[in-house]
Amino acid sequence: MIGVELRKTFGRPRTWVTIAVLNALPVLVAVLLRLTDLAPRPGEGPPFLSAVLTNGQLYPLAALAIVLPLFLPIAVAVVSGDAVAGEAQAGTLRYLLARPAGRTRLLVAKLVAVLAFVVVTVVVVAAVGYLVGTLLFDARPVAGGTSVSGTSLTPEELAVRTLMAIGYVAVSMLGVAAFGLFFSTLTDSPLAAALGALAVLVTSSLLFTLDAASPIAPYLPTRYWLAFVDLFRDPVLWRDVVRGLALQGVYVGVLLAAAWANFTTKDVTS
Amino acid sequence: MSGHGRGRRWAVVAALVAVLCALPAVVAALPADDADVAAADLRDAVLASGGVGFSGYAVSAGGLSLPVSDQLPAVADLLSDRVQLRVWWRGEDEHRVDVVGAAGETGVHTDPAGTWTWEYESATAERTGPAPLTLPAPPDLVPASLGRRLLSEAGDDELARIGARRVAGRDALGLRLVPAAAASSVARVDVWADAATGLPLAVEVLAEGATMPALDTRFLDLDLAVPPAGVVAFDPPPGARVRQGADPGGLLREAADRALSPGRLPAELAGLPRRTLEGAPEAVGLYGRGVTLLAVAPVPGRLAAGVRSALAAAPDAVRDERGTRIAAGPLGLMLVDAPGAGTFLLTGTVDLDALADAAAALTGAPS
Repeated sequence: MIGVELRKTFGRPRTWVTIAVLNALPVLVAVLLRLTDLAPRPGEGPPFLSAVLTNGQLYPLAALAIVLPLFLPIAVAVVSGDAVAGEAQAGTLRYLLARPAGRTRLLVAKLVAVLAFVVVTVVVVAAVGYLVGTLLFDARPVAGGTSVSGTSLTPEELAVRTLMAIGYVAVSMLGVAAFGLFFSTLTDSPLAAALGALAVLVTSSLLFTLDAASPIAPYLPTRYWLAFVDLFRDPVLWRDVVRGLALQGVYVGVLLAAAWANFTTKDVTS
Repeated sequence: MSGHGRGRRWAVVAALVAVLCALPAVVAALPADDADVAAADLRDAVLASGGVGFSGYAVSAGGLSLPVSDQLPAVADLLSDRVQLRVWWRGEDEHRVDVVGAAGETGVHTDPAGTWTWEYESATAERTGPAPLTLPAPPDLVPASLGRRLLSEAGDDELARIGARRVAGRDALGLRLVPAAAASSVARVDVWADAATGLPLAVEVLAEGATMPALDTRFLDLDLAVPPAGVVAFDPPPGARVRQGADPGGLLREAADRALSPGRLPAELAGLPRRTLEGAPEAVGLYGRGVTLLAVAPVPGRLAAGVRSALAAAPDAVRDERGTRIAAGPLGLMLVDAPGAGTFLLTGTVDLDALADAAAALTGAPS
């Protein structure tokens, strides 16, 4: 069943259109940077963007930082919100459930397909970012880079930390995917499910900027999204990274349990 | 599906959520072990903790809106914002403190010969030598060094024990300092010191009449192992701008250049005796003891104009026949024109009446 769902997700043209659109913004930013040579002042704009003019190998990180606040979560919310509600809207859900595989397994298969989409999307954004960065900007394959703390990083260290950052961004999206999937079991409208997940994210981002909400800030799903920057400090600041991973784990666990409780007992009529 | 199964499944989910929500509260409510230590002994333990090496993560929340945000933005941010600090401490003259921001950081690496300040945002490394007077810097906000500094001159009669609490997962013994000086604008200083080593783990400073701390700094993580020297040391990375730091705005040099005859400043101001300040120009006077301090410094005209306009624009400044003065938390600020001696800046942890008394003494007006 997992194989069926994976083929379904990646066989759809719209999955790839989503990924392509997602890549358009970082590519556009790179071209503009190349044409104008106007990097944002360090400390302004998305993290790492100011450094790419001197080291194109940092562009995968800059690309992820560009899509992380809005584009990436939108794409994940749309795909995950479509998971169950899309079948319901198309009237195919009851046929799916007529198979003896059971609802829990269908839910797991849908989850795996959404996770695969998240991972593929993040990796593609990073890979396109690397291609664009090394083509358009000076690449310094031997020089390595400078950490945020002002120490020198070898190319190997830089590569390992970049891979960890890509993994961390992928995990950060799991919470969004879990919200989308849970809402997807509540409604028959994929649009409502995706908007529900986005509403959660907008609320979280807004509360995070509010001093009055600081007591609940550590529990907001978007709280630790930018912690991938901590991987480029020296020594690595694991505190927020570890908390970010644990928080996403909690959200995924709770929302999956809720999706399971709702979906396995739901009257499916469409 | 039966309604029974549905109810049971949702009950499982609800129980899971309840357990997860309760966890932080349970951890926070873990009791701390108090120890039978007298206040004076605890102060001595704190003051003797300077050699304790550690690394940790601390958060400092300042509530001081200083009227100098244009002239000294770094200082204003440090004392008015929430600041995250990573600390590696090998000793009083060998440590590193990073101010961690969402997309960058400022690292202050101190060694016996001076200080490197690395700023990622501008890729600049600045080297400064030791100075007798410096602006507040990130290392000053580390609970350990701040706690030692604030307790360094506390008298036995000013101290009391206030129980214990858990800070950074360790038992911390509470010590409250209530300054005895009548002029003081500090209501109290609470220091929570590690029961095992005396290291201050949290410090709260409360201004007179305030309900929220003017400064609240505490460790969230602490590891009591001496960090390796390689982490603390700093070499400017290739491509960085390296520059030599001057004393803040050249103020110290200018103050020393002012032709002021020694003894121009009185021996006592607002009931606080003058004290000597090693290495500081004679023209700068420091009065008081412990956490009740008043500084008097001659200021050049260009700076005086800036402070004057900031004072004039401040909505909560006190204006009467004794002059215009302002309080930012416990920190008072006043500008005085002394006939024939130029303009003086009065600042310190004294209340506004004490500032006015000091100004009157400087100008020779009846107070």
